[in-house]
Amino acid sequence: MSDHPASLQNERILPARLALRSDMLNLALIAVLLVLPFLLGGSWVFSLGLCFANAIGVLSVSVLVRYGGEVSIGHTFFAAVGAYSVAVLDTRYGLSVLFSLPLALALGVVSGIAFAWPSRKLSGIYLAVSTMALALAVPELINNMDGLTGGYEGLYVATPAVPGIPMGLQRYYVALLVLAAAVYGVSRLRNSRQGLVLLLSKTHPAAADAFGTRQVWARVAVMGISGGIAALCGAMLGFAGSTVSPSGFTFWSAIFLLVGSVVSFYGLTLWRALLGGAFLTLVPQLLSSSGAWIPVFYGVALLAMILAGHYLPRLRAIAAKRKGDE
Amino acid sequence: MSDIFRDLFPLLWSGMITGCLYALGALGLVMIFKSSRVVNFSHGNVAGFAAFLIYGFSSGALMQLSWGAAVLLAILAVIAIACLTYAVIAPLVFESDLTATIATLGIGLIAQGATLLIFGADIVSLDLPVPRFGMSVLGLFITGYDLTVLAVAVITIAILFFVVDFTKLGVAFRAISVNPFAAEVCGLNLRSVHLFSWIVAAVLGVVGALLIVPTTFLSVTTVASFMLQAFAAAVIGGFASLPGALVGGILIGVLMNLFTFYVSPEFSSTFLLGVILLALNIFPNGILARVGGSRV
Repeated sequence: MSDHPASLQNERILPARLALRSDMLNLALIAVLLVLPFLLGGSWVFSLGLCFANAIGVLSVSVLVRYGGEVSIGHTFFAAVGAYSVAVLDTRYGLSVLFSLPLALALGVVSGIAFAWPSRKLSGIYLAVSTMALALAVPELINNMDGLTGGYEGLYVATPAVPGIPMGLQRYYVALLVLAAAVYGVSRLRNSRQGLVLLLSKTHPAAADAFGTRQVWARVAVMGISGGIAALCGAMLGFAGSTVSPSGFTFWSAIFLLVGSVVSFYGLTLWRALLGGAFLTLVPQLLSSSGAWIPVFYGVALLAMILAGHYLPRLRAIAAKRKGDE
Repeated sequence: MSDIFRDLFPLLWSGMITGCLYALGALGLVMIFKSSRVVNFSHGNVAGFAAFLIYGFSSGALMQLSWGAAVLLAILAVIAIACLTYAVIAPLVFESDLTATIATLGIGLIAQGATLLIFGADIVSLDLPVPRFGMSVLGLFITGYDLTVLAVAVITIAILFFVVDFTKLGVAFRAISVNPFAAEVCGLNLRSVHLFSWIVAAVLGVVGALLIVPTTFLSVTTVASFMLQAFAAAVIGGFASLPGALVGGILIGVLMNLFTFYVSPEFSSTFLLGVILLALNIFPNGILARVGGSRV
């Protein structure tokens, strides 16, 4: 599997004017999200908090696809690492998310590298199947470390980040803040020297070799970055969702993260990440009365987005040609 | 010490029996991968759906048919699903195999949802109509089920290898797996060979599902989780090698059996992950990459 999804080909830097416009759009979006809790009810605020957390997870999968050219079905592992660092520090030591978030990020990066190292020679399907096995191992590991993780019952996250503010609002705003920070960090990566090196290593491995970038290093670095973002997702799932249990990190959660990433067309912008996150959070809520429809809906959505990604450019080309003929 | 050896041979035997089933699943995955470079993540869910169909057709939940007729009908249904699946992802296959692979995840989700919608989340049991007997041979306890599995697996795999080695379709299949472009230039129709491999894989999946279900109960996830070992088997055997899938399947069956007995049944997925990573590091292209990988 040497090629990459077709929608990934246009890796180019936006012209300054367009970049400014997208900055304005992002700021407007964040401004709307900042005032939203004052207009909506408590349950909506809670769901949106989870939606931000899932958006970070979608972002982490997309980063791996965009910078590594690889697909992961195992990002729940890194998310679980993040979630349990928040939950364990909270229930054991009473430390708030302010302390556990940096730890979650660090552990996510470390575990990303730890997984990437033995799998450094793998790519395409071999890596996908390895990550699948990783996702399968997660619930098992959590359940068997029940002294630390609370086993099946899970842990409850209750320590506020800032004392004095209602917990419901904190769960919302902290998740939003971390999402915004993650998107900002990823956008900085795009124009940084490091990001360009990683992209070169993906698209032109021989050229990257000539410039002295080792493939193994690029693979490990991308996995580390992606694992770190996924750990932030897990940390926010724990903080915004208030409970952390193995049922949140199953094989299916890993597939849904991938589905969210495909639905957002592997986009790394705030809009795209939110679209994927909303898809993962709000669809199960809408379909909550008919559980069996959830997999069907996700499956159809996944196929529809992939086929749209395939046919839309062609249709557009045909339409453009028609216009040209007239 | 003697205790360990007393357990060892029965464990190896039962591991080999399960391994044959993993091999059937893995062969289906490899068939599809060899021809179209797509990893079919819907394999387990579709085979599980077929097992439920057989249950539905033979138990009176949907229809009241004899076991044989139910199997035949389910196989026809699965062939139809395979054709439909290929029709959906066919436009993606030549563009990006990774995209096509992700699309099969979508098909798998739909198959799982359809199983849930039609049959519910209940656990049912589905038996094979084989004589129940057991005999002791050299300290091994061999049951009618074991022999059935072994016989069916050997016959199925023999037919498959015969078809691939000696028939015109098999030659076309091998040609395409080596060099699709040259094969197309020589006038082979890639689509029809792809479709052939999808149909064969689907039938292999149903056979595997039918044989695995009697050892456990049938639930929505039974066959899908069983197919995960088949993925490991295919990876270890080298995803593009049919004999590799066979060897990988038996290897995984035996290793998993030994591990769950001697170490712990609770860490089996973690063990599987370890085996995959280790095997791929030592043999990046599968264990049979050099020995016989290029034969079939």
